[in-house]
Amino acid sequence: MTTWEGLLFGIGFVTQPEVLVYCFLGVVLGTFVGVLPGIGAMAAISLLLPITYYVTPEAALIMLAGVYYGAQYGGAVSSILLRLPGTPQSAVTTLDGYPMAQNGRAGVALFTAMVSSFTGSVIGIVVLVLLAGWLSRAATAFGAADYAAMMILGLVAASTIGTARPAKGFAMVTLGLLLGCVGTDVNSGAQRFTFGQTELLDGINLVALAMGMFGVAEVIANVRNPARQGVMEKIGLKRLMPRRDDLRRMALPTLRGGALGSFFGALPGTGSTLSSFLSYSMERRIARQPERFGTGAVEGVAGPEAANNSAAITAFAPTLTLGIPGDPIMALMLGALVIHGIQPGPMMLEARPEMFWGLVASFGIGNLLLLVLNLPLIGIWVAMLRIPFNYLYPAILVFLCLGVYSVRGLTFDIVAVAGIGLAGYLLALARFSPALLLLGFVLGPLIETNLRRAFLISRGDPMVFLERPIAAGFVIATVALLLLPLWQAWRRRARASD
Amino acid sequence: MQRDWADICGGLALAAIGAGAAGWAAVHYDMGALRRMGPGAFPVVLGSTLFLLGLFVALPAFARTDTAPKFEAKAALGVLGAILIFALGLPWLGLAGATATAVLVATLPAPRQGWVWRIVLAVAVTALTLLVFNLGLRMTLPVWPRMP
Repeated sequence: MTTWEGLLFGIGFVTQPEVLVYCFLGVVLGTFVGVLPGIGAMAAISLLLPITYYVTPEAALIMLAGVYYGAQYGGAVSSILLRLPGTPQSAVTTLDGYPMAQNGRAGVALFTAMVSSFTGSVIGIVVLVLLAGWLSRAATAFGAADYAAMMILGLVAASTIGTARPAKGFAMVTLGLLLGCVGTDVNSGAQRFTFGQTELLDGINLVALAMGMFGVAEVIANVRNPARQGVMEKIGLKRLMPRRDDLRRMALPTLRGGALGSFFGALPGTGSTLSSFLSYSMERRIARQPERFGTGAVEGVAGPEAANNSAAITAFAPTLTLGIPGDPIMALMLGALVIHGIQPGPMMLEARPEMFWGLVASFGIGNLLLLVLNLPLIGIWVAMLRIPFNYLYPAILVFLCLGVYSVRGLTFDIVAVAGIGLAGYLLALARFSPALLLLGFVLGPLIETNLRRAFLISRGDPMVFLERPIAAGFVIATVALLLLPLWQAWRRRARASD
Repeated sequence: MQRDWADICGGLALAAIGAGAAGWAAVHYDMGALRRMGPGAFPVVLGSTLFLLGLFVALPAFARTDTAPKFEAKAALGVLGAILIFALGLPWLGLAGATATAVLVATLPAPRQGWVWRIVLAVAVTALTLLVFNLGLRMTLPVWPRMP
């Protein structure tokens, strides 16, 4: 299938009413949770995981992806109006978006965020299509050792890049890997860490883990938050219109942000949050008047918003063609597919064209929906910001319980959600990342299987990881990433003693 | 400012989990050889790694100060209590009873005072739940409390 045939096929697939409705549902729900500060895309996707049992895997993936990028549009709204990032990906947008709102230019800031997000997505779609074809061809040369080395690189990258204390990141990833061992071992049939509980034979339920770690923990953390304050003016269509000067200023940062995001989104460990930060610092560095940043510069909204959206889309390339999620949100997406018994890999594009091309087309259509819906409906989203969390979280909790119950019909799972929620809340309180735990949990069985296979093929010779050029490349990159924080600490100490 | 208790407690807890998992796996599961790894090999390696990482997080933290994070005990109790009541009450109270009770318990830690809004919310969420899960998704659950 050529690219054009694929795209036409995908558009044909997504415009079927029974698929389109899930795309629409995903982006609207995504925008809603994005607008609400405190509940992020992770929590929303976790809450919706049970629905994937009732729909086709394609529709499920399209909906969950819609939640993800929809949440980025919504996240910008609360970043700009409340200086509270609705999602971590839009945290940078507060830096110049909120000052714009204070200067009475909230509408222009929102317009910039929406249009830049859309443009970034289009760039991301183009890169995704090119990259996925290339990765699928390259991946046919991958062996078990290469897969294992690449996944380990992904885990190391995710826990070192952009974290203050890499040791805590590693600890969370390792705990996640360990939790992934619970249940029946696929290679030997042995039962591990089940302690005689039949409920644990299939392992820890991904839905219960994700809901507890993100849904329950985030609700607990936000229950007693004081009422929100921010710029709460009425924003009509007229207020959205930018000046010609704004359009000129936002054009290049948007394109640069989109390019930067699509590169970092596809790399393991660097997701859309990091891309938005990088884009902001790049724009400030190359600006003619860097002193304008932080006081309401349009560039500071346009670049990061384009970057986070394009990164969110290109992140699907390694997830779908190699079966390796680069960040925790992609791990949830992979988990949703695994629930359906689908293990993505290099054959995905050929074997399930509806999945890949349908998703690509849904990115285009979903983003278009977001643009045409959100600009006129911005007033509704602003009104949503006024709903106190008091009225929302009890319903969230009940839906969460019923969602996890619906998967297996076991009250054991609801009780497990409470326990996991408490653990997740404590972890987040002590600044350990539950997202990294989830990444380790999803990758654990894959890493173990590939490691065991690699050693079986090499007859127990660990040199296999250095003899194969692909694996060796990943091993070298992993070692470099491990040494980086040590080197930085050493340099800091050397500088301090001067 | 006080000791960095978050890292000390968190690190030590993780080290304990790691040591426990590695020990349990080493005793109960077959390790195999590198050529043919048994079901115990991966957990033992991971458990030992977690033990070391936990110590690596906890030990330097003794020499450091940090602001202790605030544990929202009321919020945690209300939210977890609501979930547990829902889970354990579902067979007895039915969907309607469990939902209403859970909502009432969940709202206890909310900053807004008064009872009227809590009851209104409980009724509204119960109605919504019945509408979506019972009429909409046709989940087979008892709706009303079981009569003795």
